[in-house]
Amino acid sequence: MAEPLILLTVGLPWLGALLCWAAGDRHPRLQHTLAVSFSVAAGIAALLLIPFGYERPLVTLPIGGAFGDFTFSPDGLGVFLAAVATVIGSLAVIFSVDYMRGEAQLGRYYAFVLFFIGAMVGLVLTTNLLLMFVFWEITALTSYALISFHNDDPKAVAGGIKALIITQFGGLGLLIGALVLFAHTGSYDILAVIANPGLLPAGALAWMAFGCLAAAAAKSAQFPFQTWLPDAMEAPTPISALIHAATMVNAGVYLLARFFPAFEGVPGWREAVMAVGMLSALLAAVMAIVATDLKRVLAYSTVSQLGYMVYAVGAGGVFAAQFHLLSHSVFKALLFLGAGAVIHSVGTRDMRQMGGLGKKMPFVRLVFVIGALALAGLPVLNGFWSKELILEAGLEHGNPLWMLIVMLVVSGLTAFYTFRMVWLVFYGQQRAELHAHEAGTAMKVALAPLAFGTLTTWLLAGSFSRLLSESLPAHPISAHSTGEILLEVLTAPVTLIAVLVIGLGLAAWWQRDRLTGFAPALAGIGKAAANSFGFEAVNRAVVVVMEDSAEKLRSTQTGMLSWNVASLLVALIVVLAILALGVGLP
Amino acid sequence: MTISIPTTVIIMVLGLIGIGIYALLTTRHLLKVIVALQLLVKGAMLALVLAGRLTGQEDLGQSLAITVIIADTIVAVIGMALAVQVRRVIGTLDLRSLTSLRR
Amino acid sequence: MLHVLIAAATLVCAIQAVRAARLLVSALWLAGASALVALEMYLLGAPEIAVIELSVGAGLVTVLFVFAINLTGEENLDERRMIPRPLAWVLLFSAGALLLIFILPGINQPATGQVYGTFREIFWEDRQLDTLLQILMILAGVLGVLGLLSDQKTDLTPSQKEHRA
Repeated sequence: MAEPLILLTVGLPWLGALLCWAAGDRHPRLQHTLAVSFSVAAGIAALLLIPFGYERPLVTLPIGGAFGDFTFSPDGLGVFLAAVATVIGSLAVIFSVDYMRGEAQLGRYYAFVLFFIGAMVGLVLTTNLLLMFVFWEITALTSYALISFHNDDPKAVAGGIKALIITQFGGLGLLIGALVLFAHTGSYDILAVIANPGLLPAGALAWMAFGCLAAAAAKSAQFPFQTWLPDAMEAPTPISALIHAATMVNAGVYLLARFFPAFEGVPGWREAVMAVGMLSALLAAVMAIVATDLKRVLAYSTVSQLGYMVYAVGAGGVFAAQFHLLSHSVFKALLFLGAGAVIHSVGTRDMRQMGGLGKKMPFVRLVFVIGALALAGLPVLNGFWSKELILEAGLEHGNPLWMLIVMLVVSGLTAFYTFRMVWLVFYGQQRAELHAHEAGTAMKVALAPLAFGTLTTWLLAGSFSRLLSESLPAHPISAHSTGEILLEVLTAPVTLIAVLVIGLGLAAWWQRDRLTGFAPALAGIGKAAANSFGFEAVNRAVVVVMEDSAEKLRSTQTGMLSWNVASLLVALIVVLAILALGVGLP
Repeated sequence: MTISIPTTVIIMVLGLIGIGIYALLTTRHLLKVIVALQLLVKGAMLALVLAGRLTGQEDLGQSLAITVIIADTIVAVIGMALAVQVRRVIGTLDLRSLTSLRR
Repeated sequence: MLHVLIAAATLVCAIQAVRAARLLVSALWLAGASALVALEMYLLGAPEIAVIELSVGAGLVTVLFVFAINLTGEENLDERRMIPRPLAWVLLFSAGALLLIFILPGINQPATGQVYGTFREIFWEDRQLDTLLQILMILAGVLGVLGLLSDQKTDLTPSQKEHRA
């Protein structure tokens, strides 16, 4: 029973992608209908798959001897992320019906969205590391194609290429990991190495661990690769919600969590993961405070929240990381789609021109405020519980206390920039002549379930922990009931401190006029943050060097077939000569 | 002196591949390129069958040879289709005038 | 002795196919070489492959060649080559000599190695992915034939028109 479901969850979106493309752009209504029905069907298939997470059946597609069979196994981590990808994916597609109405080339848009959803499901369900790498690269490709969807806009094209190059760089890390695994065990099976890390010698395991860390950092836009995500905001907003907030950027956290039992013992790996997460959380939060573009603020906050998850994995709190991943996917998709409704309505992303929009868009304001409260980590919403669990994990296993303090400070900064954003958009005086209107029906249909989820997903804590603990025997996760988890969070001293810090962040925003005295002291930091702490300059330098050397190599490209064949032949001669000399004449 | 069958076939293989590559190096005609590729690939195909025979895995060698036949035929077909279109659009089959991709 | 004759005839056909000035002649020599290769494979104990090669390589491809030559017309290009002939010979011979170093010692050794299975098992089961991809390739080939057969549409894009002018 699980086998057809797995194939359906991967296959339905891909089939839908083909059909949407084949339907042709002359039939936009048909394309909307096809995209919505196939993504919703995939979502249902993924939800039906969840009960199989406990049994972990292994589905094998034999493809011959060379690469090992393609295997899929729906364990807790896998089914949960597959459900997130397909459910939020179908909501983003439903939202697109309104958002993309009247746009040209809908076929390309929907085909890539559905292609992405299928690849994301495959990525989290497969247990063959080579196949995982293939899915990993497909998600990068679709992400690039969708960031550059408006391919007549140079900024969109540049943002797409930047994302592609940086995530490809990380993909190399994953490829190294896969090849090291294959070289030492003769198969790409990841379950074996997770169950028994001793299969690989310590040095090889370290290569694999840090390769995967580089891959995860690039994919999840973590330090020092965080620069691509803000530029990816040129994508249509449903794409930002789906790929760049709720699913693809989580692939890095997924990878780290998946391999945690194998890499835990590698010296320095956990500390490196925690440091990457902490730096990302801190830097991105500071940049979010000074950003003026609504979607960029959300992008920085995504980097920052992903930093929390990465930190949690490093700290040993795999359950906390995954639980925050669930909360974050829901509330960040809600925030992005809400922002999309605002941007669609007023036609600008600049928060300095907005203000007072709440009166004209009461529904959007309501759901956006719910999402913002969850992001800030205020009690009762899902973001609160999961963030507190992460901070608690930071206390355990002898993790450094100073990192925890930094993370606490970041939660205050989060509250500050969240309220600044809500205030600038929905409250206060209207600052420019903008024509705003309430969101359309399809938009509301997509927003309402997300808002409901933001209010309620924390109630799933108990069953979620049971699913993960039963299906991941190698991971340090123990099953608790929802009540136990909630009680544990409420009675932990770190919760009280965190709530105080969050309150401090809020107070700082309310009393911002009185704090102007600090402004000159903080101006330097603000300026550095607006320049993204110099990372953009490093990026530009890399690009310039690459382009210069490529320009110099251009003269070798004659475009003449004969010379190309001649170079092939010369290469063959060199290889053969090396072999003859190295092996020795027989 | 007698020449063994494998030696004969090896000479045939190297000859076909050599002639094919020589033609690729010197010709300027797009359809001649396809002729050269055909010769080259026939050498490779024969080599696979021979290798299967030499190692005692005849079926493996033959199954790979089938793949090579399919791939090579499709290369020829697509190449010819491209050549026809090139002739139609550019007006010549001279490889020298096919360098417009370079800038 | 038969093998030596076949080898010699094949190489003659190949050389003629490359040397022939007229494309049509070239295509016919190519068909000859293909048929001889098929014969050799038959003698080597691969009759199925020989039949496929004969019908596809010697038959279908030749027909398509004649077709393509009809559509494009003969075109006599002058003799100037892009790569000087001596350079081509030097490259070829050095590569060939190096290859022979590796090939010759193992050539007359008895068969070793384990047998993996029958043709059917290998082709349809062990190499499933390959077989699937081959089907996709055949689809691509069909699209190619459609391109070959498509009528003389001359609605060029502006840039192509520019290039022509």
